[in-house]
Amino acid sequence: MLKIFRDLLRFNLEFAIGTLIVSIIVGLSVLSFFSPYPPEDIYVVAPDVPPSWEYWLGTTSRGQDVFWQMTAALRNTLLFGIAVAAISRVISLTIGLVSGYMGGMTDRVLMSINDTFIIIPLFPILVLFYFVMRDSMSWALLALIMAALGWAYDARLIRSVAMSLRTREFTSQCIFSGMSPRQIMTREHLPYVLPIVFSTTLNNMNWSIGMEVTLSVLGFTDINTPTIGSMLYWANQHTALVAGVWWWIALPVIAVMMLFIGLYLLATALNEYIDPRSRLSRMGGAA
Amino acid sequence: MTLHQLNNHLNSVPETAPTSPALRVDGLKAYYQTRWFGITREVRAVDDITLRIEHDEIYGIAGESSSGKSSLIKTIAGAIRPPLNVVSGSVNFDFGTRKVDLYSLKPEERTAIRWKHLAYIMQGSMSVLNPLRRVRQSFVDFAFRHMGLPMPAFLRAVEEHLLKLHLQPGVLDSYPHELSGGMRQRVVIALATVCRPGFIIADEPTTALDVVVQKSVLTMIREVQREMRASILFVTHDMAVHANLTDRLGIMYAGRLVEEGRTRDLFRNPRHPYTIHLIRSLPRIGDAEPRKGLEGTPPNLADPPPGCRFHPRCPIAMDVCRVVVPPMQSLGGGHRVACHAVTGGTVQ
Repeated sequence: MLKIFRDLLRFNLEFAIGTLIVSIIVGLSVLSFFSPYPPEDIYVVAPDVPPSWEYWLGTTSRGQDVFWQMTAALRNTLLFGIAVAAISRVISLTIGLVSGYMGGMTDRVLMSINDTFIIIPLFPILVLFYFVMRDSMSWALLALIMAALGWAYDARLIRSVAMSLRTREFTSQCIFSGMSPRQIMTREHLPYVLPIVFSTTLNNMNWSIGMEVTLSVLGFTDINTPTIGSMLYWANQHTALVAGVWWWIALPVIAVMMLFIGLYLLATALNEYIDPRSRLSRMGGAA
Repeated sequence: MTLHQLNNHLNSVPETAPTSPALRVDGLKAYYQTRWFGITREVRAVDDITLRIEHDEIYGIAGESSSGKSSLIKTIAGAIRPPLNVVSGSVNFDFGTRKVDLYSLKPEERTAIRWKHLAYIMQGSMSVLNPLRRVRQSFVDFAFRHMGLPMPAFLRAVEEHLLKLHLQPGVLDSYPHELSGGMRQRVVIALATVCRPGFIIADEPTTALDVVVQKSVLTMIREVQREMRASILFVTHDMAVHANLTDRLGIMYAGRLVEEGRTRDLFRNPRHPYTIHLIRSLPRIGDAEPRKGLEGTPPNLADPPPGCRFHPRCPIAMDVCRVVVPPMQSLGGGHRVACHAVTGGTVQ
């Protein structure tokens, strides 16, 4: 595992850049624990100070230090992405493996549910959730809802792999030896799909973070928890651009873009590594 | 339990005088049945097969592709899944200590006799090992539940078994792709026989190997059989392997057994026209005469020809062959054949 990591760093430029960016972001979000100000508090410093030696990235119109505010926002955004990805991975692995292995009626029922989730337009649904729940809508609840909506594509992907695994000889051997379907799925089939899941996890994080930023900017989430989206929301509320407080908008946007790019590069690099055909085509020559 | 006691335990199979054959298959019919939008299709892959396999015997089944060999032994092993269904007939095993009628058992009882009494080396056994799991884990996955030993004793028993089969216990730590084809095949055989089963079913275990490795695998199978005094049902289309290994041989054609007898008798004195062609097609050292192939292809088992299924390709087909299914009749000495031309007394 470590050796693969080292080789990827050395031979895959995308992976190296992606790792660098993501580790900077992770480092920043860890810094949030050492913040001198509680991230939710406002008017703790002088408002609207441009970047200076005292406030590296300036302060907001709400009297918050942009740097420390951003570390907290990045931490929450990143955790949000990880939470959504983790929960939705559990759902998509379960549905995908069960559906692909069991086949027949189980498969048809699960896949019609799956396809329903694929065609549902997510954004209006999420806005609707906000209007229905409003005050009770929290960061954790939103993560849960997003996870419940974001598993469908990967469940289909995992199902397609599981369908092929079901017909291999070693599966027949497992059945013959009397392993239960649960054992076959978790012990024999799960290791096969994990690499694929790993690469889609990163894409799923990107998707959920993007969705969260969109919702927050429009004010359709709990805007009091600092995230990149809610930072931008407050900046817009205080017409930061018109007022000339550009650093309040520019820095969170740059940070979240770097996060996107970092995760995307990691996902592409891993995808390429996992798919042996693209590994060969990278090597050039006749494969 | 010490290792010594364990060995005694494993070797102390009670010596009861076998009264019934190790395997008795009676009138077995297994069809692939599909029904879709009211249309039913039936492929009669195993049609009315009756055979006996004695204790301590290697029985071979030969036949060309699509003759129903694999379907037959899947049915005998009880490893069938829809659409393959048993239509009628019975499969009775006598494991010495236990007699079972396979298709009257509950599914969990059927699982319980596998590995312990009945081993099945599957077709394409090159790929029965999960490529993502080490060989040791495959042994645990497949055989542990059937051995009824605690884990350390189980692993010790596995290592002993491998040593007995001239395999280094080091293979347990490798992944399947790290082993060569012949090695993998031998590991699979070791895996199937680790519980010292009384009956071993082997479906083309030597097919993907070159002749040198084939020989070592066959030697290993024979050693296993001698040591455990097990019965083996061995399936391959390779007549040379049958000539080397099996005691008795059954020839299948289009889902039916057409001839059966001691391997030596069958090679020296084949009676069924299909067997005659099969044996004649084998190359012999010093014989430069070109071999003649048999015209035509095996019939479609969804719509087999009436009467004898071989008659469209048979050079000596008579009118009766097109109407009446020839019954299996004994010629004495354990030699049985299903052919009107032979049993009707008008040989060629």
